[in-house]
Amino acid sequence: MRAENVLGVGTTAVVALLVLPPLAAVAAGGTAGGFAPLHHLDIVGNTLLLAFGATAGALLIGGGLALALVRGVPGGAMLERLVVMPLYLTPLLTAIGWSWLASPHSGLINLLLRDTFGLPLTVNIVSPGGVVLVTALAATPLPFLLISDALRGIDVAMLEAARVHGAAPLLVLRRVTLPLLLPAALAAALLVMVQALGMFSVPAVLGLPAGFPVATTQIYQLLDNYPPRIGEATAWGGLLLGIAALLLLAQSALLGTRSFATITGKAFRPSTKPPRAKVLRAGFAWLYVALATVLPIAALLWAASVAFATADVRLMRFTAQHFAYVLFAYPKTWIAVGNSVLLGALTATLVSLIGVAVAWVVLRGRGRGRPVLDHLSMLPLSMPAMVFALGLLWVYVRLPLPIYGTLGILLIAYVTHYLPFGVRAASAALRQLHPELDEVARVSGATWLHAMRRISLPLLRPTVIAAWALLFVMAMQEVSSSILLYSSRSVVLSVAVFDLWENGNPSDVAALGFVQLAVGVVVVGLLLRARRDAALA
Amino acid sequence: MTVTFPVKAASAALHIEALVVAHGTTRVVHGLDIQARPGEVVTLLGPSGCGKTTTLRAIAGLETPLQGRIAIAGNTVFDAATGIDLPPERRGLSMVFQSYAIWPHMTVFDNVAFGLRARGAKRAYIADAVRHSLESVGLAQLADRPATRLSGGQQQRVALARSIACNPGVILLDEPLSNLDAQLRLAMRAEFKALQRQLGLTAIYVTHDQEEALVLSDRIVVMRDGKVEQSGTPAEIHDAPASRFVADFMGVRNLLPCRIARDGGRLLALLAGGVELPVRGPAPDTPVCIGFRPSAVVLSRDPVPGACTATLTGATYLGDTMQYELAAGPLTIHARVQARFAMAEGAAVYWSVPPEACFLVPA
Repeated sequence: MRAENVLGVGTTAVVALLVLPPLAAVAAGGTAGGFAPLHHLDIVGNTLLLAFGATAGALLIGGGLALALVRGVPGGAMLERLVVMPLYLTPLLTAIGWSWLASPHSGLINLLLRDTFGLPLTVNIVSPGGVVLVTALAATPLPFLLISDALRGIDVAMLEAARVHGAAPLLVLRRVTLPLLLPAALAAALLVMVQALGMFSVPAVLGLPAGFPVATTQIYQLLDNYPPRIGEATAWGGLLLGIAALLLLAQSALLGTRSFATITGKAFRPSTKPPRAKVLRAGFAWLYVALATVLPIAALLWAASVAFATADVRLMRFTAQHFAYVLFAYPKTWIAVGNSVLLGALTATLVSLIGVAVAWVVLRGRGRGRPVLDHLSMLPLSMPAMVFALGLLWVYVRLPLPIYGTLGILLIAYVTHYLPFGVRAASAALRQLHPELDEVARVSGATWLHAMRRISLPLLRPTVIAAWALLFVMAMQEVSSSILLYSSRSVVLSVAVFDLWENGNPSDVAALGFVQLAVGVVVVGLLLRARRDAALA
Repeated sequence: MTVTFPVKAASAALHIEALVVAHGTTRVVHGLDIQARPGEVVTLLGPSGCGKTTTLRAIAGLETPLQGRIAIAGNTVFDAATGIDLPPERRGLSMVFQSYAIWPHMTVFDNVAFGLRARGAKRAYIADAVRHSLESVGLAQLADRPATRLSGGQQQRVALARSIACNPGVILLDEPLSNLDAQLRLAMRAEFKALQRQLGLTAIYVTHDQEEALVLSDRIVVMRDGKVEQSGTPAEIHDAPASRFVADFMGVRNLLPCRIARDGGRLLALLAGGVELPVRGPAPDTPVCIGFRPSAVVLSRDPVPGACTATLTGATYLGDTMQYELAAGPLTIHARVQARFAMAEGAAVYWSVPPEACFLVPA
C-alpha cells in the first residue's frame, strides 16, 4: 500500500473511532433512559431559553462588532485582538468574575450602587437573564470572526453600487449587506447554539443559585448523586443531541441551495466617516471588551486579594492569604496544574497532527471516502462536549479497557471535542498553499513522503504552532466534559476551581481561577517566545 | 409615479469646477474642470494613478472632495464653499463598476430593479422598465436567473441594464470592459455605443485604453497626475496631441527633439543627423519635439525625392503589418507598414512622413 493511502485509511479509522462510538452510545442510551426530560418541561424550557437567548445576543454583539471594526476605528488592530480574548478564557472564570461583580448582595457593582451612591438599584447577574448575558458574552468571538471574514469577502463595489443606485445607508445594510452575511451568520448561529445548549459552567455558577437549572446542570446533578443515575442523565444528553440535529437540519433548509460564495473584489477601504461615528463604534467595542474580559478578570483579581468584599476603600484590606491557601495548602492545586498542562499539551499536539492529516486527505487526497472523513471530523462541532462525555462514560465503563478514571479518557474527550478546530486551521492553511508547490517536488523526483516532509509540512508549521497555542489554552480550561470524567487522580484545573466554588471559600476560588489563567498565559508566552527565537536563529 | 430625472436641455448634464480630492495628505486630483452636455460620452483617459477613477468616485459621492463644485443636471450636488454634499443615493446617478458589483443574492431582475425600488417607483413601472432595460442588453430571457449563474459578459450586461433602468441623469462607467477577454470587449464596446446613441445617454467613461476612448467618446479628457493634460474630440486628441505625454499615451512612438526652420514658404523640422522633415505651421517659438505615428511613415527601397535614408535594424512580424526599426544617423525611427512590404535587416531604405501626419509638441 502506498504511503498516501495508508494516511487516508488510517486517518479515517482514527477519526471514526473517536467520534462514532460515544455518539452511538448516547443515541442508544438516550432511548433506554426513558423520558426523564418530559417530566421536567420547565428545564427543557430553560435550556431552550438559554440556547436561543445566548445565540441572539452573541450574533447581535458579534455582528455589530464585525460591522463596527471592519471599516477601521481608532486602535482597530488592538481592538480586534481584544475582542476575541474570550476564546482564551473559560466561561467558568467569566461567570465567577461576574458573580463577584453583580451578585445581588455582595457584588461589587451593587455594593457601589447601594453603599457608596445610596441608590435603590440592584444589578442581579445571578438570574436567568444573567446566565443568558454571560453565555452570550463568552460566545461572541465566534460570530465576530465568521461575520468579519464574510464582510471582508464582500466586494465593496456591491455596497457602493447600491448607494449610487439610490439606496440610503440603512437600506444598503438591509437589502445588500445583511443578506450577503446570512450564510456566515447562520453558520455562526448554529455553532453558538450548540455551544449554549452544552454550556455547563455559566448556568451552574449563575443559574442554579437562582433556581434556573438547564439540561447540562441536570446531567451533572444526576451523575453527582449516589448512585449516579446514568440512564436519566443520558436521556437529557439525547435531548440535547436531538435539538442539535434539528438545528443542523434547519440550517440546511434555511440556506437551501443558496451558495453565494461572494465574488471577492476590492477590500474595504477605511471609511471616510466623521470621527464621531468612529469613536462611537470604537466605544461599542471597548464596552464589549470591558464586559466580557476586563471587568470579570479584574473582579477575580480583586476578589482573590481582599480579606472581605467591600466597595469602601477605607475598609478594604488586601491580603495574600487566598493565594497562599491555593498555592500551598489546597491539596488539588498542583496535581491539577500538572494534569491540565499535560492534557493541554497532549491534546494540542494530537489535534494538530490529526487535523493536518484530515485536512491533507480531504483537500489533496484522491480516495472516495473524502466527504465522509470531512463530515465525520466536523461532527463534534454539533455535539455539546458534555453529551460527548456521557457517551464516553457509556462506552468505556463497559469496555474492559483500563481507561475510565484516568487522564486517558479525558484526553480522548478533549481530542474529539477540539478536532474540528484543528481540521479547520490546517485546512485554511493548506488552501493557501498551491498544490503546485508540492507537485513540482514530486516531478523533481521526490517521493510523496519526502515532498510532504520537506515541502508541505514546513510550510504549514506557522499555522500549526498558532493553532497549537489556542488548542492548548482551550483544552487546559475545558469544563463540561471534565466535570463528568475526572477522578481524584485525574483532577484538572477547571474541575478544581468548580469544586472549590461548590465547597470552598469564594475568595479562594478567585485565587485558583487566577492561577489557572496564569498557567495558560505563561505556557503560551514561553511557546511564542520559543517560536520567535527560532525565527530569529 | 414615474421616476425621471429632470435634464435641463440647455444646461450641462455634468459640470465640475476646480475639483480637488485628497487621499490622506496626498492630493490625487488638483483643480479639475470637466463638462458634459446631455447625450454626450466624455471619457477620462489616463494611466493608472492619474486620478480618473477618483474623479468618477467623487462625482458619484463615494469620495468627498476637498474643494470644488459638482453639478448634475443643473443641481449642485457638491460645493465645498457652501458645504453642500449630497449622499450618493440623492445624486440621481447610476454606475457600472469594474468588478460589475452584481449582487449575488438576487436574481437578474432584482439586480436591475434595485435602483427603481430604492427610489420608490411603482410596481408596474418597475416591471416595465426592467423588461425594457434587459431587452436592450439582450438578456430579457434571463430575468429570473440567480445572479451567480452568469458568465462574465452576462454580468457586464446586467450591470449595464441596471445602470440604464433608473433613467439616470448621468451614467458613470469605471473601466467596465477591462475584465472581459479581447473579443468580448470589442463586441461589448460596439453594443454600448449603439445603446448610448439610441437612448441618448450621458456618460462619464473611465478607461486607460486609448482605442476604447477613441471609439466611444464624444470628448476625451486626458488626465495626468490629477490634472487635465488635454481635452478635445477624439480626432483632436489623436491627430494633434498637445504634449509629449498625450502623444506618448496615444501611441505616437516617434517623438524626436527638433529645431524649426523656415525654407521659403514652408516650415522644416531639423532633426539630429541632418534629417529634415517638412511640417505644417504655425511655427512655435519654444523648443519642440516632432511626433508622428509608426503607421504614418512611408518606406521605399528606391530613392524618392525628399525622402531620408536609413538602415533597417529590426523587423517584427505582426500578422497584417510589419514593425520596423530604422537607424537614421543617431535617430531611431519606428515604422509600421503592410506585411507584403518585406525587407531584410541591414537593408538601406528611404523614408518620409507626409507633413499632415506630423505634429509639434513642446519639448
